[in-house]
Amino acid sequence: MPDSLFEAAHVDKHFGGVAALRGASLEVRAGEVHALMGENGAGKSTLARIVAGAVRADRGSFRVDGQPAAIASPPDAQRLGIGIIHQELDLFPNLSAAENMVIGNLCFREGPWARFRQMEAFCRPFLEQVGLTCSAREPAASLSIGQRQLLAIARALSMNARLLLMDEPTSSLFDDAVERLFGLIRGLRSRGVSVVYVSHKMDEIFRICDRVTVLRDGQTVGTRDAASTGSGELIRLMVGRELDLSSGPRPRVRGDVAMEVEDLGTSLLRNVSFTLHRGEVLGIAGLVGAGRSELGAALFGLDPIVSGRVKLGGAALSARSPREAMRRGIGLVPEDRRTEGLMMSMSVRENASLATLGRMQRLGFLRGARERGELRTVAGQLALHCPSTETCVSHLSGGNQQKVLLARWLLLHPQVLFLDDPTRGIDVAAKQDIYRIIEELAAAGKAVMLVSSELPELLRCCHRILVLREGRVTAIYDAEEATQEKIMASATLAEAHA
Amino acid sequence: MARDPEVGQAVHACPLSCLGSAPWFSVGGLAGEHRLGHADGGARLMRPILRRAQSLAALLAILLLAAITSPVASDGSRIFLEIGNLTDILRQISLIGMISLAMTFVILTGGIDLSVGSTLALSTALTAMGLTRLWPTASYGSHIALAIAMAVALSTLAGALNGVAIATLRVQPFIVTLASMIGLRGLAKWLTDNENIDIGFGRDVAARFAELFREKAIVIGAFAGAAAGFWILLDRTVFGRHVRAIGDNEKAAEYTGLPIRRTKVWVYSLTGLLAGIAGVLYAAENHQGNPNAGVAYELDAIAAVVIGGTRLSGGKGSISGTIVGTLIMGVLTNMLRLNNVDSNVEMMIKAVIIVLAVAVQRETNR
Repeated sequence: MPDSLFEAAHVDKHFGGVAALRGASLEVRAGEVHALMGENGAGKSTLARIVAGAVRADRGSFRVDGQPAAIASPPDAQRLGIGIIHQELDLFPNLSAAENMVIGNLCFREGPWARFRQMEAFCRPFLEQVGLTCSAREPAASLSIGQRQLLAIARALSMNARLLLMDEPTSSLFDDAVERLFGLIRGLRSRGVSVVYVSHKMDEIFRICDRVTVLRDGQTVGTRDAASTGSGELIRLMVGRELDLSSGPRPRVRGDVAMEVEDLGTSLLRNVSFTLHRGEVLGIAGLVGAGRSELGAALFGLDPIVSGRVKLGGAALSARSPREAMRRGIGLVPEDRRTEGLMMSMSVRENASLATLGRMQRLGFLRGARERGELRTVAGQLALHCPSTETCVSHLSGGNQQKVLLARWLLLHPQVLFLDDPTRGIDVAAKQDIYRIIEELAAAGKAVMLVSSELPELLRCCHRILVLREGRVTAIYDAEEATQEKIMASATLAEAHA
Repeated sequence: MARDPEVGQAVHACPLSCLGSAPWFSVGGLAGEHRLGHADGGARLMRPILRRAQSLAALLAILLLAAITSPVASDGSRIFLEIGNLTDILRQISLIGMISLAMTFVILTGGIDLSVGSTLALSTALTAMGLTRLWPTASYGSHIALAIAMAVALSTLAGALNGVAIATLRVQPFIVTLASMIGLRGLAKWLTDNENIDIGFGRDVAARFAELFREKAIVIGAFAGAAAGFWILLDRTVFGRHVRAIGDNEKAAEYTGLPIRRTKVWVYSLTGLLAGIAGVLYAAENHQGNPNAGVAYELDAIAAVVIGGTRLSGGKGSISGTIVGTLIMGVLTNMLRLNNVDSNVEMMIKAVIIVLAVAVQRETNR
């Protein structure tokens, strides 16, 4: 096979009793950007991690430059010129950028003593190559998510990576950082570095990828040239059926005022004012760090409110704890489902019922039948797919994990629900389910606030879109007048709406 | 850690309920996920059972070993298997066992309690003081009740203070309970002027107390009752669910509005309570209130909990595991002592067993 840089064949992997990969294969040519697509749980990330040596395959053969290769650990992969940028970046937050790059790096010979000057000299060209302008002494924790990602790429390059695996690299980036990343990927390709790009996002794949390999249920179902393939065909390959991605009609039943926010100020927010109606979906747009999550935290009693007023159903709200906010009918689905949302070693049932145990008990004793009964209803509504309610949530795909978290909040029947980037890193089918649920909530007279980094998603779901920049509201658009350009301008430019 | 199958879950997830709830859950499911769910269904149902059986198997293996190596009495019977010996084992593990039950809850929340040995010493000293120095005019019954109530109440209070410091000052449990381990030991010694307060063998109230509360039935019964209570508490109550949820992911627990502080104060109060009860029984058993009692009990308790499969970082674990862990340690001690193994060698063997037990569990949990 000409130009084949890397080949994996017949890769099997089981986690516990669950088969993640069953005879998956992947073939990457030198100097191409190769997309790895598939639904939740199709095995994309697992395959990427196996290729990078982070996970060991049960079975499978690998070839690099046509030669058989063994990949059993990250150093093995490094020696073969394979690098990975994990979705959850694996940096050491308290070590400096330079230390992060040289640690475990076989290309930098470390003696028993830390040699800071050599370290920095080693790192600088790679940091420049990826366009990261920070000091090499900066601790990783003080970098933005986008910068951390660049640092991870610089690290992989400094390890002489010829094959770079990127696992959902744009899942936490806003559009401008995505553009920079794409520029960088094109630059790498022109230098002969191959990139395997794991993503759900169809538009990104058509923009930067040369070829696409689609996984379904742990098996490779096909590899296509991106240029001669339509998105419909890829979706068919991924799910085995057609999906309607166009935005459906959104009946808007705008009811009474559900929540009034006046001059709200916290440690980050400044003079935030808006009104939220029952039956309305309000989008919250803004760059990372603009105060989107902080708005939810303030309303939900996690961040102290310094100034201003919040009225809920006509009465003042000053929630000092999530418990109080929940009692007043506010729910919050946090941004990071793994660290802020789910109990990863508890079952689907236990996770879902956690916020509503109050009504699933009698004298402190749990009523299992009631718990299961209520979960059954909401699971059907969410189209939650899991082997059983007793399955540990860590065994579920990202989309189903998110649905478990949503189930927890739906069971609480909140009047106002704040969804912080609920579709981050989940596949198209699960996204559709979540859009449908948002619509159903609004139709049932609930007020929904939806944070998202993806503008098309906001335009698809929201009746109005509020834009934050540096903790201030810079614009509120009605759905009819909102465009991606306008929102971007309000999110980035100070003078646009001064 | 990313893929850590449901160890502690085994206890809580009844395999039959999995079967019952499977069909409706796949409604509208994608073909692939559907298949994944069913192909390995049998294996998945079996695994929790096998995993439970495994710690039981370790216990059975040690029991078998103890029976085989047991010295033989003059009438040809194996001393280890005599009812008297077996109930002796249960009596011997009861105090550590009770403390281990409460320690399981502490560890499930992601905490640790180093102060239980000192709390036991305080309780022992208070019991003896109450019986010999206070309330000289009270009747026997109320005198004994008062002494026990004082010891247990103050021990529980000590635990509650640990909990309050951990929950409100947000100092790590290790530090807080290390401090109270030192402080409570000091308190116990100060109260007793560094002396053992002897409980006599005569006909006074203290002697009657000791006679009653060193009965095997009472001691073992207290452990069995506590074990049943804590089992139910962990598996069947909202409190138990909160304990595991907080240890699994405290931040998520906060975001879900769980009563984190209240739960923690209760958990450490329960440790104080059980260490206090253990202290009362210790006083009866040893006929004295010894302010130097219970040294290193916290470590024995932690060892039993960990051998029982509870994850030291919290969130995963079970009372049944802790009971098995306690039994393993008890049978092992008994076996070694029956064979006249030097007590120092006994400690070395236990050290190896602790590491092996946890390593084997990690291995099979992959």
